[in-house]
Amino acid sequence: MTAVTHDEVHAGPAPPPTGWRRLLAPGWLRVPWMTALFFGIGAGITVLVRWLEGWDPIWKGSVITTVELTAVPFGFLAGIGGFDYWMRYAAGSPTRPEDHSGHGARSWRDYFRINTDHKVIGIQYLVTTIFFFVAAGLLAMLMRAELARPGMQFVDNQTFNGLFSVHAALMIFLFVIPAFAGIGNYVIPLMIGAPDMAFPRLNALSFWLLPIAGFMMLGSFLAPGGAFASGWTGYAPLASTHQPIGSVFFNMGVQWAGASSIMTALNFLVTIITMRAPGMSFWRMPLLVWANFTTSLLVVIATPFIAGSQFFVMFDHVMHTHFFDYQAGGYPLGYQHIFWFYSHPAVYIMMLPGFGIASEVISVMSRKPIFGYRLMALSLLAILVLGFSVWAHHMFVAGMAPWLRVPMMVTSMVIAVPTGIKVFSWLATLWDGRIHFDTPMLFALGFVSMFVIGGLSGIYLAAVPIDIHTSDTYFVVAHIHYVLFGGSLFTIFAGIYFWFPKMTGRMYDERLGKLHFWLTFIGFNLTFFPMHWLGIQGMPRRVADYVPRFADLNMFISLASFGLGASTLVFVYNMVKSWRFGPAAAANPWRSLTLEWQVSSPPPIFNFDEIPQVVGNPYEYGVPDARHAVFNGDRQVELEEVPTR
Amino acid sequence: MTVQAEAHAAHPPEAHQSSRVDARTLGMFLFIASEVMLFGSFFTAYFFVRVSAHTHWPTAGHELPVFVAGINTIILVSSSFTMHWALQAIKRGNRAGLQAGLTLTFLLGLTFLLTQIREYSRLGFAPYTDAFGTIFYCLTGLHGAHVFVGLTLLLAATIRSYRGHYTADAHWGVEIPGIYWHFVDVMWIVVYTTVYIL
Ligand code: HEM
Ligand SMILES: [Cu+2]
Repeated sequence: MTAVTHDEVHAGPAPPPTGWRRLLAPGWLRVPWMTALFFGIGAGITVLVRWLEGWDPIWKGSVITTVELTAVPFGFLAGIGGFDYWMRYAAGSPTRPEDHSGHGARSWRDYFRINTDHKVIGIQYLVTTIFFFVAAGLLAMLMRAELARPGMQFVDNQTFNGLFSVHAALMIFLFVIPAFAGIGNYVIPLMIGAPDMAFPRLNALSFWLLPIAGFMMLGSFLAPGGAFASGWTGYAPLASTHQPIGSVFFNMGVQWAGASSIMTALNFLVTIITMRAPGMSFWRMPLLVWANFTTSLLVVIATPFIAGSQFFVMFDHVMHTHFFDYQAGGYPLGYQHIFWFYSHPAVYIMMLPGFGIASEVISVMSRKPIFGYRLMALSLLAILVLGFSVWAHHMFVAGMAPWLRVPMMVTSMVIAVPTGIKVFSWLATLWDGRIHFDTPMLFALGFVSMFVIGGLSGIYLAAVPIDIHTSDTYFVVAHIHYVLFGGSLFTIFAGIYFWFPKMTGRMYDERLGKLHFWLTFIGFNLTFFPMHWLGIQGMPRRVADYVPRFADLNMFISLASFGLGASTLVFVYNMVKSWRFGPAAAANPWRSLTLEWQVSSPPPIFNFDEIPQVVGNPYEYGVPDARHAVFNGDRQVELEEVPTR
Repeated sequence: MTVQAEAHAAHPPEAHQSSRVDARTLGMFLFIASEVMLFGSFFTAYFFVRVSAHTHWPTAGHELPVFVAGINTIILVSSSFTMHWALQAIKRGNRAGLQAGLTLTFLLGLTFLLTQIREYSRLGFAPYTDAFGTIFYCLTGLHGAHVFVGLTLLLAATIRSYRGHYTADAHWGVEIPGIYWHFVDVMWIVVYTTVYIL
């Protein structure tokens, strides 16, 4: 929470606007005209500059589009009220008091406003990301329909390229990464005993960048020439030449999503460092907090690199610069180096928070302390550091310097060690535990088993000779889905089920939850396991057509994938129904020790009436009289009785 | 142990401060870390073009205005000193010193930016001429964009200083833009050295 700042003068709360003045108040009435205004400003400046410089034509579609993909979102953000506070602050006017009217949600409408409450923002994040998850899933269904039989049936090649590009981009930038940010947003301040995030207004703004990025990427289907079609990796020079304007929608969409995750990461880091409850040392933080701490470091350090790479491609595309144009002195391979220097760490951005969730769920639901707590935290840090040294394992066949291959192969295999440590620690935690097979636990166990398969195929791919054979085949598709679907997605589901009672105050339907798990688990394996086989046989990825000898297996995969897609309906139905009609949830249905479960469900508007005192480790399940934290009344007594571990 | 209470409090409990570092300062330093990485990606591109692709620097027939840019460097560096001066002034409660320092810093920064734009129009090559032009414009342009952001922050601080904000013991609104401004300065020295001199 922002501390009292003596150099701010506060005005009284604003009276509710009436009549036409409502157009000036932050909100959806202000959005349309502000957006139009910013559109005009963007177009005006562009035309003016081109006219002054004597460039022909003055009105150039690709340039205007690029400028507007920046200007229009700013208009939207200004309209909805993302900048109001800072504008008044900058002008030296009295700022609106921190009256916390932006806190809490009283009706569903409050979720469609700028809201500074981390709990509201967390739910905004999760609902938005699930929307894009469903959208991206539907694109995948279309792809599988096309791939069910050899030959071309429903879409042409260019459309197919657009389908898999938008599918992957949405899943990665609009689902996995921000869904973890959403869970973190909701849970982290509660877990560390803080009333909110360190920068609540920045938090609100980071959320609203997301729908912008998502609709930009989806909207590229409407752009002339179709959606961006050079894959989520957007390799230059392919992406910077010979591409429809839709590819700029990808470049800019990544910028908005990237800005959002950098801002959130900053917020997480500052919150975790400066706002922990008394007694909550780093070595007493729950592993989810540790995981988000390391992930946020990765985001802050690595994400600017993808921002850079997409700027370069966009400039090459729109301004005809020569970053990747060999003939004019550019360096084509540079793109892949810069891109993977972000995107390999990014696979850990997409996985480490999931490790955190799995640790929470597995420890609570097997009623045992997590095995090797410190090693779990240290292995996260090891992954953080090593993650920056392996990027070129994506480039074994790209024509890079051959001497780089073996070092990158070795580091890639070394990074499997800290990952393996985590797997063994989860297994050891389960060992001899009193395991409760609730839905979150099922997903966590599904995660551990599927992630092992994905990790193993990763080691295969890291071996240069095997990679040369399987690069750009369905083997890679199998690998990424075992780590991202079986890994990240399963932990996201685990997290959503686990904290659902806390977030909504209601219990989800356990039977539907279990049904969802089993449908997903079986559908997932039937869909993706055969892809290993296809890949080794040599079926290339990212193609709409293939030789007839792969037909049977592809038909099988497509049918399985439709079943997998349908399992999402069970999930969505369960969430919607339980949120509205589910039975009221207890404050602590899982009998967990961490702080978020020690307050009511949903938590009070400022999380804690008084900041708790942390007195022990977070995972002492089955240890008699162990306590993680005590609240005001008990404090004096407890402090004397419980030795600080 | 469970607190079942509904929230009646109109105000949140004061968060426990678990670190000696101020949240805003830490936030700014982390932001600068990611800015450094953004510059890093542009310098990587510079490296690829200049070292890996063996591009001549500058390409034949072009010259870089090392001298004018040198003067510009001096302007920008001196603005760091005026910024420091402004902050020291308000720490002693000297409002006039704060106002003068901030105004001067802002004007020096603006001069830098305008000089750079002027320089662009006289160079005789463009971002689309060749890869050298691309890197030159993109690195200096990226830095220019940061000067612009810095100027925006400075403008806010300056306006507020004239409207009576900030005191000897409440001046983070000057301090934080100041940190950013020093970062922009240091970054320019790196850009100037690598692009113009080396
Ligand atoms: C044991 C650790 C891992 C190793 C050794 C490993 C290794 C590799 C290698 C060598 C490739 C390149 C394949 C090729 O394109 O030829 C690859 C691709 C990929 N990996 Fe992993 N991986 C590991 C874990 C992960 C994790 C945890 C994730 C994400 C959660 C992940 C996500 C991906 C993705 C998305 C690609 C495909 C990128 C593309 O579209 O080309 N990997 N992996
Ligand atoms: Cu990788």
